[in-house]
Amino acid sequence: MIGPRDPVLRFRAVTVRFGERTALQDVNLDVPRGQFVALTGPNGSGKTTLLRAALGFLAPDTGSVELFGSEVRSLSVAERARRVAWVPQEESPREDVPLLDYVLYGRYAHLGWLEGERARDREAAVRALKAVGLEDRAGDGILSVSGGEKQRAVLARALAQEAPLILLDEPTSHLDIAHQLDLLSRVRELSGERGVTVVAALHDLNLAARFSDRIVVLSRGRRVADGVPSDVLSEELLARVWGVVADLRRDPRTGAPYLLPHHLVRPSPSGPGTFLGKGPVHVVGGGGSGAPFLRALSEAGYRVTTGALHLLDSDLETAESLGALTAVEVPFAPIGDEVRERLRVLLEAATAIVVAPFPVGPSNLPNLEEVRRMLGQVPILLVRRPPGEEWDFAGGRARALEEELRQGGARSVAGVTEMLATLAAEPVAASSQ
Amino acid sequence: MGAVAPAPTGKPLGRRPWVLGLLLAVLAVGVFFSPILGTVTISPDTVLRILLHQVSGGALFSEPCAGSSVPASGCAGLIEIVWDARLSEIMLAVVVGAGLGISGGTLQGVFRNPLADPFLLGISSGGTLGAAVVVVFRIGVAEQNLLLPLFAFVGAIGTGAVILVAARSRFGSVETLLLTGVALSSFLSAILSLLLLYSPTGSLQVDFWLLGNLGSLDWTQDGIAFGVVLIAGTLLATYGRELNLLQLGPDVAQSLGVDSRKVRIRLLLLASITTAAAVAFTGIIGFVGLVSPHVVRRVAGSDYRLVLPGAALVGAGFLLAARDLSLVAFPGTLLPIGIFTSFAGAPFFAYLLFRRRQFSTMGAP
Repeated sequence: MIGPRDPVLRFRAVTVRFGERTALQDVNLDVPRGQFVALTGPNGSGKTTLLRAALGFLAPDTGSVELFGSEVRSLSVAERARRVAWVPQEESPREDVPLLDYVLYGRYAHLGWLEGERARDREAAVRALKAVGLEDRAGDGILSVSGGEKQRAVLARALAQEAPLILLDEPTSHLDIAHQLDLLSRVRELSGERGVTVVAALHDLNLAARFSDRIVVLSRGRRVADGVPSDVLSEELLARVWGVVADLRRDPRTGAPYLLPHHLVRPSPSGPGTFLGKGPVHVVGGGGSGAPFLRALSEAGYRVTTGALHLLDSDLETAESLGALTAVEVPFAPIGDEVRERLRVLLEAATAIVVAPFPVGPSNLPNLEEVRRMLGQVPILLVRRPPGEEWDFAGGRARALEEELRQGGARSVAGVTEMLATLAAEPVAASSQ
Repeated sequence: MGAVAPAPTGKPLGRRPWVLGLLLAVLAVGVFFSPILGTVTISPDTVLRILLHQVSGGALFSEPCAGSSVPASGCAGLIEIVWDARLSEIMLAVVVGAGLGISGGTLQGVFRNPLADPFLLGISSGGTLGAAVVVVFRIGVAEQNLLLPLFAFVGAIGTGAVILVAARSRFGSVETLLLTGVALSSFLSAILSLLLLYSPTGSLQVDFWLLGNLGSLDWTQDGIAFGVVLIAGTLLATYGRELNLLQLGPDVAQSLGVDSRKVRIRLLLLASITTAAAVAFTGIIGFVGLVSPHVVRRVAGSDYRLVLPGAALVGAGFLLAARDLSLVAFPGTLLPIGIFTSFAGAPFFAYLLFRRRQFSTMGAP
């Protein structure tokens, strides 16, 4: 029997391989009763594999998957169906079955051999149809209803199964925005009312943040983040896992975090993906020194980012006019931790870094320190400074850092033309299309 | 792929179990009146009197031939023709048709493919080849009634296994499945032809096995075929609910509690056995398994709990009608029955293919 204390779903060091490819790598996961967990991650990160392992469709190569304390593959197929229900991404029924019969299919695991549906099976089916708002359509054929209604019918069938755990695999990916909200609100409501535990693979992070109690992020088969949405979602995570530069805001009404994606940062880690222009190339400048490079890059088709800059800096104006992302500090203050963190995201996202001949003082010295961290990871181009001009106002520390960059492999360029030529010859920087 | 279902119009047909009762009644009437037709002319009232005489164990119409032109001494011969020849032939048509019909319905469900059929998939050819081996090589002449179906099982199940392996690589692909079946079927028929041509009895046998035949039978063969088809068919009919769920795809079915892999293998095995029992004594009879389930879906709904028994009834009726029509169209001779089923079945097959094409260009499911 199902023990009340056991977690609904437990993954212990689960690894799943398909030939050479590792789909899940050492995944641990405990889902307690009544939680709504959103499972997310880029395409091919292992979301579907995790759900299929939870359903017992595939056996892990190592580790164990438990449903209510029992190894899922040791349970009979019917017993599994009484413990966990599944809403697949899209179902393509062949026969034009009335919706009520379609929902009654969910009762199969509760029926004995050759036993017909009893009154309480019909009641469960009708209740499930009501819960998804399809009670008036019970006699309509599954092939004649709309995509949103079909998905709701599938959800109703899962509800009729009366399993304490429901797994949903991208249930909204074929639905328009209204039907996405409708379906997920219904699932959310049901999980609250009936105490049903829900694990839903969701592409849309904003929907995940809005509806779930907890977000689990997978990347290349590993669990890389896990927690309440406001803790998990960050610009840094987006750049790292999805390769997307995004702004994190907060929904003023619900308080849920939401992301405003801008563009891709580099070839997506999990596949070819599509790219909007070349780059991005990050320009470190200030006091107007970065502007000519930003403009030239933008004109040449590169996406650009810049920073860290102080508010009111003339380079900032240029950056904003080009739609470039920046890290900005208040005027005259030293670059703080938060801005530095943002700069780091931008630098890590860049396919090349250009250091403009900017005057360096103690307040913006961290720019060079952060660029130094990137040595060996992306091409760094140092624009040569005009001879005899004083630029190091940090007591020699800036010169020392630039020297370190040169020693570490940063290339020296004379100006805009040589910068573009060098970037064009650089496979990584120009490779994106 | 939704070629099976009627075009979506809002309200689907639903379940109409009473249709099965109607089909059974029509079949019973057909069985009762079919002995009137035969290769020699016997007046209908004499035939019916003989039937009632035999059925009642001699209590009714103690002189069944009275009033006919046949002298009393010839009556025993007439009884033999009507009862032993015609009725056993009719019962074989019923049993074989039922077996092929329910096999076809099962295969269409297992492969989620409206074009699946024991003949088109080569299972019939496999079974026939197995049976023909016994005849040609004169294996255990005395036990032939037992060995024929046994070898037919081996041939049919072997073919079924090959189909299953082929289908597993790309399940649901109609083209892969059908082409594998057609290739297998042609290959097995070629072996069969070769075998028969070099057999002592020669090309006469080819006609018998490749074109399907209801002649030259006895009640023992009827009994064996009947027993196997009844048992395997009844078992198949208990899987209606599982087949309904399998139509949603093996994964969804499994998530609902059906052990998809196990159930599909079991069903394919049972369908192969049923097909083998059907073809062991008659040779290849095509298209009965293809047509019958479609007819049932149109009249009784697409619930497999009705489709399977319904396909058995329609298959039985189809083959019986083919026999009767053959006798009406060509009085005095019983042509190989497979010719008639192919005349009706092949255009239907073309129609299904055409409809499927139409559906896919329309972007329907």
